[in-house]
Amino acid sequence: MNLQAEISKMLNHELMKGVTLLDLFIFVAILVVAVVIAKIVRLNIRRALKEKVPKTTLVAIEKIAYYTIIIIGFIIAIPYIGFSLSGLLVAGGIAGIVLGLATQTVVSNLMSGLFLMAEKPIQIGDGVSIGDVGGVVKDIRVLSTTIRTWDGIYVRLPNEKVFTSNIYNYNAHAARRFEYKVSIAYKSDADKAIEVIKNLLEEHPLILKEPAPQIFVEELADSSVDLVVKIWAPSSEWYGVKTEMLWKIKVALEKAGIEIPFPQLVIWKGEET
Amino acid sequence: MFGKYGLNDEIKENGVEIRIEGKGKIKRYYRKAGGDEIEKIVSAESGNLYVVPVEPVNLPKLGVAEHLLIEFENPYIIEPSIQDTFYLKFPIEVGIFLVDKKDVERIDIFTMAKQKYTLYGSPEQGIICRWWKSEIYHDKPEVKKLHEGIMRVDVKNSYREWVEVKKMVFRAFDMKIFYNSHAYMHTHVNILKKTMAETAFNSRKPKNMEASIDIYEAKGIKKLEKKFVMEWGL
Repeated sequence: MNLQAEISKMLNHELMKGVTLLDLFIFVAILVVAVVIAKIVRLNIRRALKEKVPKTTLVAIEKIAYYTIIIIGFIIAIPYIGFSLSGLLVAGGIAGIVLGLATQTVVSNLMSGLFLMAEKPIQIGDGVSIGDVGGVVKDIRVLSTTIRTWDGIYVRLPNEKVFTSNIYNYNAHAARRFEYKVSIAYKSDADKAIEVIKNLLEEHPLILKEPAPQIFVEELADSSVDLVVKIWAPSSEWYGVKTEMLWKIKVALEKAGIEIPFPQLVIWKGEET
Repeated sequence: MFGKYGLNDEIKENGVEIRIEGKGKIKRYYRKAGGDEIEKIVSAESGNLYVVPVEPVNLPKLGVAEHLLIEFENPYIIEPSIQDTFYLKFPIEVGIFLVDKKDVERIDIFTMAKQKYTLYGSPEQGIICRWWKSEIYHDKPEVKKLHEGIMRVDVKNSYREWVEVKKMVFRAFDMKIFYNSHAYMHTHVNILKKTMAETAFNSRKPKNMEASIDIYEAKGIKKLEKKFVMEWGL
């Protein structure tokens, strides 16, 4: 009985104005629990996202979650050591407004970065056009995305800009289509030209069997019969195939005796009567 | 053609020439196949050269496809709840490996078979596959040994209705290729629905055959899944 009374007396001993030893214990206990919870959450985030997001991003997400939980724990615990939460909130609110104004862009980029990681419209290695920048995605970080443009220039785009721009991802799908316009002379045989082009495309390994290429007469133009050639290729290889095939088509048509005409204008000179 | 050779052996068969020339440590590797020739400098004192059939998805460029799609000359129709066995031809690529006690290194790869790729599925969700067309044979067919191999297909229709099959898709990661004078694979195909099937490979070594060097194991790429699910039509 005496011991209980002694402990009770000790715990209720006021260390400073309005703060007992018990309050101090509760304060410390809340902080310890917050740290433990933060560590567990950090560990689970690491396990869940290890294979899904880049390492630098993972570290950032872990830190945000960890310190958010610690801060919440601190806010819950602080009244026990005699600090007024309302006072703290006022001070925190003012500081928050100042900080918010100062870091508005950073937070906006951060949130955009998190949404980009969740939505995944682009991935590292994809060929993309974002706004007026085109190139290969080299890195996606929490605040920014880096792109190597087609001509080899390093561009860092804030994630807010990436998130709010139109994104064209050239590698998102397995295959993509491109087309040529091939003009032949009126006197040439269009069916034969189509056959020659079809055979040529069949020989190229990276021109896909399915979806099959389409070749047809698109227009009877002023000086030529215009054929259109639509070709599907693997998205990773289409550019190489596109740069290779047009000249090969021209050579194959010429070899088959099919004329590719220059623009012509026939002028009839009226006879005087 | 397929098998294990010494570093000084010269291989000549059906228009293919492979040799390593030179005495001492620095040697010259030479290979000619069809109109294609290649030379490399090899620094080696010991080891062996292996010429073996490998998964047909490496040429003309590695990374384009990881699957092989075999289209049938004529559709194959199978009645409900039965099993059947038939044979197909599949394209091969020939890998040349330098092998010593510690390591395996692929130094060259070529193919005599027609190369063509196709899309299985839709452009949005589909996959790029190496394409090949084959008849269905009830007995082991004769093959051009440097162009194609024999694939045994054990097919089972687990669905309650008749199913028509026009093609089969196999994952290169799963392939188990064996060889003697020709290349050989043994596959299992389980038809689950009218538009869905599972394809897998039998890894048991047949009698009088050798296992080819597994290109993915040699590169240290793990095989996580053993079956491929054809979910975009048969």
